[in-house]
Amino acid sequence: MHRREFFKISFAAATAIVANLEASNTIRPRDNQKVLPIKFPQKRELILHSDRPPLLETPRDFFTTAITPNDAFFVRWHMPIIPTATNLDTYYVHIHGEVEKRLYLTVDMLKNDFEAVEVTAVMQCGGNSRSAFRPTTSGIQWGSGAMGCATFKGVRLKDILKKAGLKEDARWISLNGNDKAVMTKIENFKRELKIDEISDDTIVAYEMNGEEIPFLNGYPLRLIIPGFYADSWVKQLSDIYVTKEYQKYFFMDVAYRIPDNECECEEPDNLAKKTKPLEYMNVKSYIGYPKNNQKVKRATNLRIKGVAFDAGEGIKAVQISLDGGKTWQSATLADELSRYAFRVFTYNLKPMKKGKLQIMAKAINNKGEEQPFAHEIKWNHGGYKYNGIDSVTVTVV
Amino acid sequence: MKNIVLILLLSLQLSAAYTQKVKLPSVTFAIENDKNIKVMQRNCQWCHSYGYILNQGKQSKEFWHKIVLKMRDVYHAPINARDEKIATEYLFKYYGNGKM
Ligand code: HEC
Repeated sequence: MHRREFFKISFAAATAIVANLEASNTIRPRDNQKVLPIKFPQKRELILHSDRPPLLETPRDFFTTAITPNDAFFVRWHMPIIPTATNLDTYYVHIHGEVEKRLYLTVDMLKNDFEAVEVTAVMQCGGNSRSAFRPTTSGIQWGSGAMGCATFKGVRLKDILKKAGLKEDARWISLNGNDKAVMTKIENFKRELKIDEISDDTIVAYEMNGEEIPFLNGYPLRLIIPGFYADSWVKQLSDIYVTKEYQKYFFMDVAYRIPDNECECEEPDNLAKKTKPLEYMNVKSYIGYPKNNQKVKRATNLRIKGVAFDAGEGIKAVQISLDGGKTWQSATLADELSRYAFRVFTYNLKPMKKGKLQIMAKAINNKGEEQPFAHEIKWNHGGYKYNGIDSVTVTVV
Repeated sequence: MKNIVLILLLSLQLSAAYTQKVKLPSVTFAIENDKNIKVMQRNCQWCHSYGYILNQGKQSKEFWHKIVLKMRDVYHAPINARDEKIATEYLFKYYGNGKM
């Protein structure tokens, strides 16, 4: 039987920050988006952009801890047909192509026949915070919640390739999951990696935060590439194809690409001729508490909390500004769970003046790279890699 | 302020030997209803929900035209010339920002 429920949501209220700028000019990403009273399997109520394919975003409040709970973890699929029933007895990853021995590995075989390794890493969509770009770029207009951090357990991709035995001229691997397009002309969401660039931290995971990977995050197996944007982290991984030559796939070769120049930027009417795939993440931080428009008490302790991360260099410092970015003070950093993980920062203050108070956070990594101001972020046609300094404004009462 | 109505249908549970029970809710993202909604229904529902459209926010006519062309040319949506025009008009009428 079908249960019907009606939800009325205010669409206009979903966007808190609006700007009508014609020239390419970056604003702050969408914030305070409505959480809908709809629960997807193994998920709590989250920001819902689409049900088919499912697109769920994590609200700001969750970014106060190094580990994002599985049920609050964002969800992003590209293809509408996702197998919803998985029989573990017949599910396997097929490893084939330029290998000595073709393999069909079930989840049990991965658990029993290989060394188990764990890695804590940030998973972030390349288009996270895309809604900040003006003019609007193509793709889903995410706020900043298309990211999360989890501890993944699984098997080194290298160990799998070793077991299959790479042939001498094997150079590339193509990775494919089980989700499919409605129309056969649309290619599957395949990814490609260069074999000699695969790190020891790249794993085929079967566990996330000590549990089976949630169905919507790619159960039963997901590729984890710490430091890389999540578009390469193939869900429901089922096929590893080893090749001599680079294969051309739509989602590698046409989509998910950025300008191949120093600033990784371009103009709307003068797009970069040379492009490259999205790979390593840039340094970013995000305030989890307090939230925009929140009321806080005067002369009372306010503990600012948030997370910072980069592609694995590690976070050197997070700084807080209360004067619009003129002066900066160091926040306290919590322990580093891994160089790929969210690093929690805290900063205590006691606001004495009533009225609006703007709080900004800026992360600096061990290479000395720091976040630019939001308005300094340069445009690219896919709206990728936004890492502007975050800001929340509260009212002191 | 405009309201959109979401209709939630819980789809039937799929069994098999899946270790957890997966029930994917189906949410109808209602778009504005007028005489041209049929064009949207027959062209824009195959590959994704209308959520994709609503998520874009209010945009220019050129933006929406480019989206329709991208669906046709990049993702192979079979949109004929007449529907291409009507869909663009429809999108701009209800999800437009007044700019051409
Ligand atoms: C043949 C399949 C197909 C049809 C039919 C289709 N689309 Fe899409 N559409 C896609 C795919 C694939 C994407 C990208 C999916 C993703 O990245 O999640 C997309 C994405 C979008 C987006 C997000 C913005 C972007 O640039 O990615 C919008 C808006 C959109 N479609 C609108 C439409 C409209 C309007 C129609 C009807 C005129 C339509 N679509 C019909 C396949 C289709």
